[in-house]
Amino acid sequence: MDFAFLSSTMVTLLAALPMTLALFICSITLGGLLALGLVWMRTGGNPFLVGFAKAYIFVFRGSPLLIQMFLVFYGLGQFGIIRYSFLWPLLREPFVCAVLSLALCTAGYTAEIFRGGIRAVSPKEIEAARSIGMSGFMLVRRILAPIAFRHALPAYSTEVVLMMKSTALASLVTVWEVTGVAQRLISHTYRTMEVFLCAAIIYLVLNFIILQAMGLLEYYLSRHRRAMPSALKA
Amino acid sequence: MPGVNRLLVNNIRKSFGTHEVLRGISLDARDGDVISLLGASGSGKSTFLRCINLLEIANDGEIWVDGEQIRMIHKNGKSRPESARQVDRIRSELGMVFQSFNLWSHMTILQNVIEGPIHVLKRPRVEAIAEAEALLEKVGIADKRHAYPAHLSGGQQQRAAIARALAMKPKVMLFDEPTSALDPELVGEVLRVMRALAEEGMTMLVVTHEMSFARNVSNRVVFMREGLIDSSGTPDEMFGGTGSPAFRQFIGHFGS
Amino acid sequence: MSTLELLGFGSTGWGALLLVATLLTLAVTAAALAIGAVLGTIVAGAKLSGNRLLWALGHAYTTIFRGVPELLIIYLIYFGGSSAITSIGKAFGYEGFLGLPSFAAGALAVGIISGAYQAEVFRGAYQAISKGELEAASAIGMGARTRFRRIIMPQVLRLAIPGLGNVWQLSLKDSALISVTGLAELMRTSQVAAGSTRQYFLFFIAGGCLYLILTSLSDQVFNRAERRANRSMPSAAMGKA
Repeated sequence: MDFAFLSSTMVTLLAALPMTLALFICSITLGGLLALGLVWMRTGGNPFLVGFAKAYIFVFRGSPLLIQMFLVFYGLGQFGIIRYSFLWPLLREPFVCAVLSLALCTAGYTAEIFRGGIRAVSPKEIEAARSIGMSGFMLVRRILAPIAFRHALPAYSTEVVLMMKSTALASLVTVWEVTGVAQRLISHTYRTMEVFLCAAIIYLVLNFIILQAMGLLEYYLSRHRRAMPSALKA
Repeated sequence: MPGVNRLLVNNIRKSFGTHEVLRGISLDARDGDVISLLGASGSGKSTFLRCINLLEIANDGEIWVDGEQIRMIHKNGKSRPESARQVDRIRSELGMVFQSFNLWSHMTILQNVIEGPIHVLKRPRVEAIAEAEALLEKVGIADKRHAYPAHLSGGQQQRAAIARALAMKPKVMLFDEPTSALDPELVGEVLRVMRALAEEGMTMLVVTHEMSFARNVSNRVVFMREGLIDSSGTPDEMFGGTGSPAFRQFIGHFGS
Repeated sequence: MSTLELLGFGSTGWGALLLVATLLTLAVTAAALAIGAVLGTIVAGAKLSGNRLLWALGHAYTTIFRGVPELLIIYLIYFGGSSAITSIGKAFGYEGFLGLPSFAAGALAVGIISGAYQAEVFRGAYQAISKGELEAASAIGMGARTRFRRIIMPQVLRLAIPGLGNVWQLSLKDSALISVTGLAELMRTSQVAAGSTRQYFLFFIAGGCLYLILTSLSDQVFNRAERRANRSMPSAAMGKA
């Protein structure tokens, strides 16, 4: 066990951690917002929007993330209108391409997860809300969304972990996050096992933190389903 | 033949953790006996039945099936059978009918019935099928032989389960609350099959709440309470007002 | 050059290469799934065995190979495997670099990953089997091996079909990452075609469409398999028999 090598590897890899986290947080946030839009389209009545949402979800769930990322990174630059637009300085940044691609991909999966959560909401609870005159956005915000989100949480936490893993692909479009740095270290030092070990530990710790956070969230949202605290028992 | 001891059980004890469920049960069943095992929930009757074919392992006691003792090892307060092969063989001589039927859901009724004879008894397939069809005819569901269990009613499934147990040509049939999971209108068809079996001379040990069966079909009634046998006797003795006070209180709930 | 010529089968067309690459993608995914099935069964067995050490080893396997990015695992197998083979070569006196063939490396890596997911699928399927049916098999005198063969295996396979369908789709998409080893599967071929013709948009869209065809066809196959396997289950249309 070459501890000196292991610790220097760890330090090098940890220097790339902020990039991994930045990719992760930006894409989860953007992807989540896109997903909400997609679910709204998918569950609305408008046949065009429903069709678009269905097609979107089909495309982004049916093809590999890597090809989507390459399409954004290499493909967009091909079009004159994009190259000469005001967006170009932004869109030619590898980081932006990576985040955009990750967000578009996760939006597809997340939309389906949210839709599953919505379908699990009992119509009776919706009926009760309508019967007191609640409707529209307030109904969604106060009744539908909280219940749907709680149902969706287990599947969503799996998706969040997958997103964390997916940030590794950004290394293939020249973003220097943990996996990219790890690969460079391997090709310089040929000490595959040790580098893998360090990188793996970093990701496993990140996943652990994510799952713990999700678990706490689920616990918090399920207060009403647990046994009555003894102080309240008559 | 009558008089032969088909089943002899001596001083069975069973605990789950610190809770002692069976506190020393002894029973014997001769050829042709139909014994009803009655008692309140928690009295240990199902556990006792399951100890006989070793689905539960008793902590103490001996079991003889047709004169052969099931060899057990008792060490460090834990018990286990000495020979898995002996257990398998003895189980194949005891038929068990479960409260929830437990038919194999991925096989048709006919396949369920021939499974044991072919794969445990190693009988030829053609012979097994012929006998299975005769048994299904006997319990009245021959027309359902190619259906899957999920497509049958509870009463039909239980009759199929009885046929499956009979296909093994058992020496003793064990019934663990065979009608408790059935809708009331389906109970009768299963009881009729059990009665026919009894009249043919099958040795049967039946845990049940069906008082009509206990009174009219069985030749011995055993009443269990809190892990012990409270009283036993012929149906006339037990139901005829000379049963123990505890028993009379028990059947009072059934409004006989 | 027109789009049609580029995608077509003529001398300048990439169509043939793309189709061969698609078949290669299918082949490497199938190989990976087979490897994963063996590993998954072993790990599921370990987790269900009741032995704490075995459970811990199984749990470590599923945690690591579902939690670490697939790309890292591919690097591990490809570079690590090549290093290992080179050292073996050195022991036999060969001084040069020996690479692990990319098909093998890719199939092994994706196989190890799919094994972790398949282990959970098999474990869940086993736990979904009605305990009563297992008891009925014991009660009839069926030995443990026969019971496994006649009752457990068929039911696990039936119950595992939806989960296995998901793992197949996952592995199909993961196979695109094998492109980093240079294997001429669909992703790499699209990339090479795009790079050499500078028609990035066209070829990545083409590659994407081929992947979509693969995933939708797979979806249909698994749906049909699921319906066939569940013919023994109650259908929604039935009332009380």
